[in-house]
Amino acid sequence: MTDAAIGATERSVEEFVQEKSAYYAREFARIQGKTGFSWSWNSMAAVCGPLWGAARGVWGFFWTFLVLELFALVQVGRGLWGELGADQLARYERLLENIARREAQAAESLALGDADDAEAKLKIAENLRAAADKALEAATAANSMALTILLTGIALLVAVKLAEGFYANIAYEAQYLRWRSGRGAQAGINRSGLLFGAVGILAIWPLTLLRFTVAKPDEAIAGFTGGFLGERVPITEFPVGKEYFAALAKRVDTGFDWLAINFGDVFDGVTAGIRSVLDGLEVLLIQSPWPVVMFVTVVVALRLAGPRVAIFTAAALVYLAFMGLWELAMITVALIGAGAALCVVIGIPLGIWFGKSRRAYAIAEPVLDFMQTMPAFVYLIPIIAFFGTGKPPGVLATLIFAMPPVIRLTALGMRGVPETTKEAAIAFGCSRRQLLFNVELPLALPSIMTGINQTILMALSMVVIASLIGAEGLGALILEALQYAAKGQGLLGGLAILFCAMVIDRIAQGIYRKKTGAA
Amino acid sequence: MAENVITLEGVWKIFGQNADASMAAIHDRGLGKAEVLKEFDCVVGIADVSFSVRRGEIFCVMGLSGSGKSTMVRHLNRLIEPTAGQVSVLGRDMLTLSESELREMRAMNIGMVFQHMALLPHRTVRDNVAFPLQVRGEPKSRRWEVSQRCLEMVDLTGYEDRFPRELSGGMQQRVGLARALASDPEVLLMDEPFSALDPLIRRQLQDQFMALSAELNKTTVFITHDLDEAIRIGNRIAIMKDGRIVQIGTPEEIVTRPADEYVRDFVEGISKLKLVFAHSIMVPIKDYKPTRQVNFDESPRAHHGADLDQLIDVATSTENVIIITGDDGDDIGVVDRATLLKGIQGGKA
Repeated sequence: MTDAAIGATERSVEEFVQEKSAYYAREFARIQGKTGFSWSWNSMAAVCGPLWGAARGVWGFFWTFLVLELFALVQVGRGLWGELGADQLARYERLLENIARREAQAAESLALGDADDAEAKLKIAENLRAAADKALEAATAANSMALTILLTGIALLVAVKLAEGFYANIAYEAQYLRWRSGRGAQAGINRSGLLFGAVGILAIWPLTLLRFTVAKPDEAIAGFTGGFLGERVPITEFPVGKEYFAALAKRVDTGFDWLAINFGDVFDGVTAGIRSVLDGLEVLLIQSPWPVVMFVTVVVALRLAGPRVAIFTAAALVYLAFMGLWELAMITVALIGAGAALCVVIGIPLGIWFGKSRRAYAIAEPVLDFMQTMPAFVYLIPIIAFFGTGKPPGVLATLIFAMPPVIRLTALGMRGVPETTKEAAIAFGCSRRQLLFNVELPLALPSIMTGINQTILMALSMVVIASLIGAEGLGALILEALQYAAKGQGLLGGLAILFCAMVIDRIAQGIYRKKTGAA
Repeated sequence: MAENVITLEGVWKIFGQNADASMAAIHDRGLGKAEVLKEFDCVVGIADVSFSVRRGEIFCVMGLSGSGKSTMVRHLNRLIEPTAGQVSVLGRDMLTLSESELREMRAMNIGMVFQHMALLPHRTVRDNVAFPLQVRGEPKSRRWEVSQRCLEMVDLTGYEDRFPRELSGGMQQRVGLARALASDPEVLLMDEPFSALDPLIRRQLQDQFMALSAELNKTTVFITHDLDEAIRIGNRIAIMKDGRIVQIGTPEEIVTRPADEYVRDFVEGISKLKLVFAHSIMVPIKDYKPTRQVNFDESPRAHHGADLDQLIDVATSTENVIIITGDDGDDIGVVDRATLLKGIQGGKA
């Protein structure tokens, strides 16, 4: 470096540290001069500890050493005034009471002339005494540990202080680099930071120290406050029972009941709609003769997805037939089919909308997260309340869980369409409709297909849960297996579900591949 | 002089939330680009751009990236709405067109070629070229016929059923050009069409484009960041800097009389041999003071429209000065060796 460059660095360090600039310039130069670790000692940081970090705005330093110093201080506290054997001592006292009671009972028995009983009581008292002696011994032993703990605590404190002293300048130099590149790091000493640090330490240290060094912290605090805050100041547990929770849950219950009564027709309408889709599919799959269904399925697989998928499909169907699961499987497929179809019909338009409107997506995002992460059992309850049990509510539960992927991936695909391509289409006079159908949807198709695939698979994973609210099919078979711990039944049924899923998925993927011409 | 097909008058584009407020501030207080950014957090895209393009002309707009040239060209088919000013194309005020009129105008009258081709990857070359016709609702037979003809124009016969990804960059851009020609528009907008191609392909496409353009006689606005390309292709050139047009002129005017330092810097590296003509460097015959005895009768003659390249050929065959003749054959000026060398060096006498 040239002298001018060194001068510039020094000036910028000066501007950064503001106080004690000569010292920091020298130490930073030392750190920057080494490639590895360099021993640079900062007495101020070692003495003041976290407060130094707070004042200089080195918050990582502040929090780390706040915790480490606290840990060391807790050890020191336990060594100095901690009631180490307190719990053992309490046990000893309880035992003594017990012994006294037994002895009194023995004296009573003796007075009544029941010598045997008196002897038995005395025997118990004797045993208890042995236990009491042990407890007393443990308490004394724990008390004698006090010195060791105190010394360990002091050693820890010294080690932490050393670490502070040696680490401070390294952390501060890193902050200096952040400050130089203008990422809003603090320069110099900040009074409000110092104040915040002090408040933080006051808020954290005393209570924590008390909690870990005193046997009954709640009463101890009450003692410190002179009973001003009551006999017992609860710091070990939050002083609230179930009262708010119960009240709120009751209100929600009332709300649900009200909805169920007043919008019964709406819910019935939804149920009827889903049932009609389901019925159609079931007629198609169950009432048609099984050879026809098998033949058509295999031919569809062959024509749409090629010979490999067709062979796999045939094998899967044979498995279902020979396991005697044909009808159950068809019921399940109808259930999934209805769920997935409704997901696609509702999800793709929503996805298109969310893909186009950032605001709509921002609002929908938490709802989608909710739909995906909320445990299914939670929304099964209101679904039962509104829609009863059976297959249509099962489809509804599937909808809630399985719809987010197709919505998300449609939106993602829509947003992934290059602006330049859209611009070109508009430049040739496309209307919004033409843009959607000729440009955006075709380009988003790969993403949409992935979404449909995900949706089908997730619909399948809901089969067992849907059976909890009375949706029949393979799910019910597995639920039954679970109840009786029937391992074989569960596994074979699970395989059947898996095959159904794979057949549907492979055919869907095959259609897409064939269409885009990608082998 | 031919009629004006495209006219821009005082067009401004300011990007950002407070575009209108900044526009007002620019008018009232004369703020500059940096001040608008600081005060209103708005970016001035183009500032007070006015020019007109005549029928059949190739009008090049040259500028570095960020100079607003791509923003400017998008005002011509209203892909971008101006903040202020007037845009008229083919005698129609673009800004008062309704949504459907605008779509019709784009589909029928204005073709556009993009730097990144922007072809539709899921459609064959033929369907890509026919896209503007499809948008217009033409039947398939007509679409195929037209796209066939347009692909022929750009020498892509035989690639109709390929997909864009199977074609090289140069071929893709030819598809882009064919697509722009498919609706047989009067106006062609070309937004850096050849910038993403390698130099050799770029030159081929430039030649092909110039041949096509001579044949089809389209009014073209051609955006480029390459002055060589602008000079090769353009009848007139506009040079843009920071959203403003710094100079408009023929290639010769730009090269010989740069309006300011900025343009001069650009022009410096350009070979003037084909851009500077005898009439701009010659000394008028009545002002010519021979340094030695010259015999005008033995001197070779050259037309005043001859460029430096031709003058050098003439000069190397004689010891005499060159006499420049006017259109009617009169002697009007003289170019001697010193003048010629100066001309090659600086583009002016």
